[in-house]
Amino acid sequence: MTVTLRINGDLRSFATDPMRPLLDLLREDCLLTGAKSVCREGFCGACTVHLDGAPVPSCLVPVGLVGDREVTTIEGLGLAGEASDPLQQAFIAEDVVQCGMCFPGMVMSLGPFIAAHPGASAEEIRQAMTGNLCRCTGYERIVEAALTALGAPR
Amino acid sequence: MTRPAAVMDLPRRDAADKVRGRTLYTTDRVRPGVLHGAILRATVPAGVIRKLDVAPARAMPGVRAVATAADAPGMHGIGVADHPLFASDRVRYNGEPLVAVAADTEAQARAALEAILVEIELLPAVLTMEAALAPGAPIVHEGWKDYETLFEGGEREGNIAWVARVERGAVDAAFARPDARIVESVFRVGRQNQAPFEPRSALAEIRDGRVEIECSSQVPWTVRSVTARVLAIPESQVRVTVPPVGGGFGLKFDATIEPVAAVLARLTGRAVAVVNNRQEEMATCLCRENADIRIRSAIGPEGEILAREATVLMDAGAYGGEQVFLTTMTAHTLGGNYRLGAARLVTKAVYTNTPPNGAFRACNGVYNTFALERHTDEICAALGYERMEFRRRNVLGDGDLGATGQVFEGDVLGPMLARAEALRERTGSAKAKAGNRLYGRAVTVGTWFVFVGPSTSTVNLHADGSASVVTTGVEIGSGTMVQALPQIVAAELGLSPEKVAVRQADTDAGGLDMGVGGGRTTVSLGAASMAACAEVRRKLFDAAAELLQARPEELVLREGRVEVAARPGAGAPLTEVVAHAQARTGPVSGSGGFTRPGVPAMPGCAAGHFIDAIDIPVFCVHDAEVAVDPETGHVEVLSYNVVQDVGRALNPRAIRGQVQGGVVQGLGYALHEEITIDEEGRMRQVNFESYRIPLAGDAVPVALDLYEGAPSIGPLGAKGAGEVPILNVGAAIACAVADATGRKVSQLPLTPPRVLGLLRGRDPELRLDHV
Repeated sequence: MTVTLRINGDLRSFATDPMRPLLDLLREDCLLTGAKSVCREGFCGACTVHLDGAPVPSCLVPVGLVGDREVTTIEGLGLAGEASDPLQQAFIAEDVVQCGMCFPGMVMSLGPFIAAHPGASAEEIRQAMTGNLCRCTGYERIVEAALTALGAPR
Repeated sequence: MTRPAAVMDLPRRDAADKVRGRTLYTTDRVRPGVLHGAILRATVPAGVIRKLDVAPARAMPGVRAVATAADAPGMHGIGVADHPLFASDRVRYNGEPLVAVAADTEAQARAALEAILVEIELLPAVLTMEAALAPGAPIVHEGWKDYETLFEGGEREGNIAWVARVERGAVDAAFARPDARIVESVFRVGRQNQAPFEPRSALAEIRDGRVEIECSSQVPWTVRSVTARVLAIPESQVRVTVPPVGGGFGLKFDATIEPVAAVLARLTGRAVAVVNNRQEEMATCLCRENADIRIRSAIGPEGEILAREATVLMDAGAYGGEQVFLTTMTAHTLGGNYRLGAARLVTKAVYTNTPPNGAFRACNGVYNTFALERHTDEICAALGYERMEFRRRNVLGDGDLGATGQVFEGDVLGPMLARAEALRERTGSAKAKAGNRLYGRAVTVGTWFVFVGPSTSTVNLHADGSASVVTTGVEIGSGTMVQALPQIVAAELGLSPEKVAVRQADTDAGGLDMGVGGGRTTVSLGAASMAACAEVRRKLFDAAAELLQARPEELVLREGRVEVAARPGAGAPLTEVVAHAQARTGPVSGSGGFTRPGVPAMPGCAAGHFIDAIDIPVFCVHDAEVAVDPETGHVEVLSYNVVQDVGRALNPRAIRGQVQGGVVQGLGYALHEEITIDEEGRMRQVNFESYRIPLAGDAVPVALDLYEGAPSIGPLGAKGAGEVPILNVGAAIACAVADATGRKVSQLPLTPPRVLGLLRGRDPELRLDHV
């Protein structure tokens, strides 16, 4: 069937199976590979995208159920220019990244959280990261960078 | 000590792309039009293939090629060529590849696998090392005697794939001394899955008649040679390139699916992608192996270690692989930290009908250190020594002998223990956080090494004042290619690091490299690059000498200029000198190589070892505090301090990131990453629901003291810093839990049920009579 989606501001139609995971459509049909296919079961958060601004694991969203919600991927954040998001800036400035596979998902999950919780504590940030796994960093620097992005005293 | 120009906290140049989702890992390079490969795997642990009819698969929609063992006749391996790409007559593990299919879509390829007719006659399987070593056990490789030997010197016999032995000094006499007090311990650990976020992935195609493979690998040259071996083609016919890798941790230190992609590309003449899904990736993971360990020590009246004996059984799984090599490392991990009057160490890699194991960050060092340090604490408990005092008295110092008779240089572990105490003074104790729970603390030592070996680097200096570095190094996330190499080359050539471009791995462009692993990348590629820069400087100074009317030895490189050392300001911009050279003698480039220098061991001590002595030892001291909940068996890590020997910290901030990450990975191993093998020989934990890697809430902030100044042949005195942070985490947590509970901790991971079992004394004590 034909599925019409608004992705990073563009309205596009796809002839596809409505049960197909949104992740696969983004990666294979749109070549938007910033969402990573890691566990495909909703455990790791590496494929997180925004639907109407809310983070969701795109591996668990059938394309037929997206409806008229706006899909934003990591590529749709800040678009052409430099990484302007304070969280992305803090990740770069504080040498947080290692292999990098989890980071697009981290940005997509933590960005809305810190925007909604400007006074969040380190512990609250850790809790907000429960759905985002990282195998390289041991997490602490991610938490510290998120605090930096909040302008929290360290 | 003046700080070398190469030392700085250079930020990662790949970070901006990585946080914006722009980095293209191998899995992101599967473009429309590429064929998809899928692998049919055995579903029994041992058997004889009676029928393998692939004709129905060839007739399925979208199928472009079907490959079997006939298409990949060669065997590969480490030490012994025991491993085919596809099973032909015998199946040796559940999950072994039988057939690969290339089709237009992945769904079509997987559907075609279903159509293949397979009949396998079951054979009795050996699923544990105990079963494999029992008298009359079924032999996993009946033809083991006929395999090609790739490295001489290892004993092999039936299900024993390889034996490494060390014997130094009069061991039996020491144990027989009337004043010797003997302590014996046994230990068992399970497997650990590396779980890198990017699965093993490969894209292969045929260009100009050659096989070109783009893959997620730590070892481009191994992929090149293994692919050539199994396809029975010359190595020169294979090119391997590696884009950024989404984590490896040792899993990608061997070739697995890359040759499968190559076979399918050759059969179809098309580009073929083979990408493991998460379940396949975990079911066929080349894990850190499970192991059974027995250690005995004879302790003298002064608390000295008169002699030590140990036997380590490492489960290789169905094929020898890395475990054959790693038998070597018992000598250095059980015999490279404490002074031993005499030593007898025997390590066996054992075949079982289970998925093959591999390399994982600090490999068997992690569990050997766990065993050694728990044994050390059992010695202290049995004989009444204070744990820290016993360590201080017995750790290796300057001029002491390792197990193989290698002479260690410098007092390192002793001062590091003192630094650990000073660090604890600064951080304070978190004991108050234990509340009503059982509190424990432990300080453990560990010895690992830098796996030095061949690396090559070519440095080109350009007329715009920039340089490009060509190696076959891979950026797996550790930062070597994006931080250490630009820092080193920039410092050697007087440039800013932004002006140094580093080429991604391409075996057609760069020379031989042993691969990214074993903490070797910064050391080996850094040293090779420094040698390349020396040649660049020589050519540059020759050209400048003519231009400046000075002798080459009078010249220095300073901030983008070639200057006469004695006359600051007298010189010419680098750009002018390079342009001059280009016109007169040719463009300025240099090449350098590096390999291990070969530190001597005592002749006759070691048999079956790939390395008799360690060229660059690396030492660690870890200090952990834990709270154990007596009601639930849950272990909370209250604090974690590390003193790490880094030789020279080239990028201290990056090292801190590696240590934090390595320690948390080790906490997973110590506490909750558990793999068990079911009765069909499969790993039960094949996704992130059943295999629990640490979450943000499991992490603890690591307090770190970088210990600099220990001897190292690495560039500027550096040692690898990324591999070793995991080394003694299992040891520190286990010793702290033993301290908290007063129980013998003999197994990892310390899951709540296992800890409750210890606390309530309901589990029988580990015996391991087969070791």
